[in-house]
Amino acid sequence: MISIRHLSLRPWVQDVSFDVAAGEVFGLLGANGAGKTTTVECLLGLRRFGEGRLTVAGEATGSVAARAATGAVLQATALQDKVTPREALALYAAFHARPLGVETLLTRFGLTQKRDAAYETLSGGQKQRLQLALAFIGDPKVLVLDEPTAGLDVAARRALHEDIVAAKAEGRAVLITTHDMDEARALCDRVAVMAGGRIVATDVPGALALEHLILGGA
Amino acid sequence: MSALLRLTALGLVLNFRNRAAILYGYLFPLIFLVAFWAVYRSDPVPLILHIGQFLTVTILGSACFGLPTTIVSERERGVWRRYLLLPARGWVFVASVLAARLVLLISAVGLQWALAFGFGMPWVAHPWALAVAFLAASAAFLALGMVIAMLVDNVPAVQALGQCIFLPMLMIGGVAVRLESLPDWAQKASAFFPGRYAVEALQSAATGTGQAGYDIIMLLLIALAGVVAAAGLFRWDRQFHPNRAWVAVALAMWVAVGAWTVTRGHASAPQQIDAKAVGEAADYAAPHVAEAAPPPSWQQAGDRDFATIAYDRLPPDEGIVSPVARPDEEPDAVIEPQLTRIQSALPGWAPGNVSDPVQRARNLLTVAAVPDILQMEQVERFVPRLLFARLQTVIPPRDLPKILYWIATHPDDGDGAAMHQLSAFGLPDVTGPQKPVRGRVMLYAFKLLGRLDGKIVTAPR
Repeated sequence: MISIRHLSLRPWVQDVSFDVAAGEVFGLLGANGAGKTTTVECLLGLRRFGEGRLTVAGEATGSVAARAATGAVLQATALQDKVTPREALALYAAFHARPLGVETLLTRFGLTQKRDAAYETLSGGQKQRLQLALAFIGDPKVLVLDEPTAGLDVAARRALHEDIVAAKAEGRAVLITTHDMDEARALCDRVAVMAGGRIVATDVPGALALEHLILGGA
Repeated sequence: MSALLRLTALGLVLNFRNRAAILYGYLFPLIFLVAFWAVYRSDPVPLILHIGQFLTVTILGSACFGLPTTIVSERERGVWRRYLLLPARGWVFVASVLAARLVLLISAVGLQWALAFGFGMPWVAHPWALAVAFLAASAAFLALGMVIAMLVDNVPAVQALGQCIFLPMLMIGGVAVRLESLPDWAQKASAFFPGRYAVEALQSAATGTGQAGYDIIMLLLIALAGVVAAAGLFRWDRQFHPNRAWVAVALAMWVAVGAWTVTRGHASAPQQIDAKAVGEAADYAAPHVAEAAPPPSWQQAGDRDFATIAYDRLPPDEGIVSPVARPDEEPDAVIEPQLTRIQSALPGWAPGNVSDPVQRARNLLTVAAVPDILQMEQVERFVPRLLFARLQTVIPPRDLPKILYWIATHPDDGDGAAMHQLSAFGLPDVTGPQKPVRGRVMLYAFKLLGRLDGKIVTAPR
């Protein structure tokens, strides 16, 4: 579903390669500045990269077809203050050929009570769940989640984990970046550890000494 | 509903939920309109002579502040970065924000017009030409707004850069201060700002006093360069820094357009000649009966001929065309020196003392006609009173009605050279064809004849 081959965008990312299969949760781990977000941004077509071949569901990254197959939650994105969850979902649905139902997603992500509330009045957890609902609106084959649980309280984090597990069960390929080792162990089928813009190790979470790799920088 | 329509509709809905946006988008244009109305409240016809100015201010404000503020605030928050993940071409998002802005602009202008009509502004001369001029001006300024939005990183910077463009255009760009009130250097400088072309295009279309085509072409060239520059500068995310050299494309077009205008000698304030067709003499003096042949000379004109005149068809004294101040109306102190100058120069003015009484009267009426076609606002209404008085002094009372009738029914006769000999009164030479001046001479001849004949009674208010 996701294929990254020899991605380089110097000096941030160098020769990064990995694949994520359908129904798999793949974790990109690393300290701040390791190159996780840059890798994700290249995958989503937000950045032009120097070298490499990146595809999503067989489509070149950044193409309209690749974007149609991808749902994403990014850091540093938001919605307009006055937009409501219902309006935002209806808007994003209009861009997809076969969107999921707005009401279905509001219910699934626990936003029914807040469906007509302004975005600015939502809590941090509710905003993140709305972002996840927006990522699901196009019924994507691939989910890309960049630090999705950063800043969330325990309950919100647990709810988000359940959503990710559900997405995996639905056969979606999930790429998640995090620097939380517990989260990686709990969610990911495989993880790649990044340091200094390179992947320094890839394996199942239990097989890697994650703390050592991340804190040690390589 | 298509994604573009839904995005545009949501943009409009969100705008109406934002109090500040409503304040800037709707209240400010109305305040500007009231300000123009208050400043020019002594105009004989409210606001129509300033429509180009207040529409340009509205477009400028919406495009240079409203549009970039929306885009930059959304880009700062990451809204546009999120849009980029959607399966659509980038132009959809840009088109939607421009479409929403145009709708807001049109609705703001609609409100402005409703209030202007409430103040008594008449309908415009060429509505379709005005619509084209409005769209051309909007295109030029919206493109400029896009350039601003792509250049700056945050909302305060929009305000700063917007002011840097807005204020010079207001002050020396012919927008808030009329071009003819500016010194020569500023008139030339204004040719390098798009605001001047917007005002002239809109005003020409609204009052039919000039050619809007040149200004519209200049606006479209400026818009085209702005679009190219904005496309080159475009960025979805504030973290990416555009190549600012693209700004040179937009600025180069401003310079090119300005240089072209200066080179062609169009930089100085153009004579705003009110060239509206005023009809032919037959429109006002048609014989009622077939056997009523026109008199062969002015000496043979008489009551039977005067009776054919339909005075009710003449433009009203309070209108734009051939206005005449009421007898009890006092001019503002500011125009008194000019009226005094005209009054004192009349006795020594050679064309007003030629031996042929018809040509003499025609020349004197020209002094009233020229301020009218040049739209010299307050002055144009008071000069006819001076000329009517002068004519009654220099033409024998028995001959004056006959001569006025003759001039009115033969507007194309005689020598029109007097219209180029008005410097003694501080009036400019009239350039271009004589037809508009002769038309106004005809109307003023009818109007004075009507007064002498007792058919036009001007009662004090």
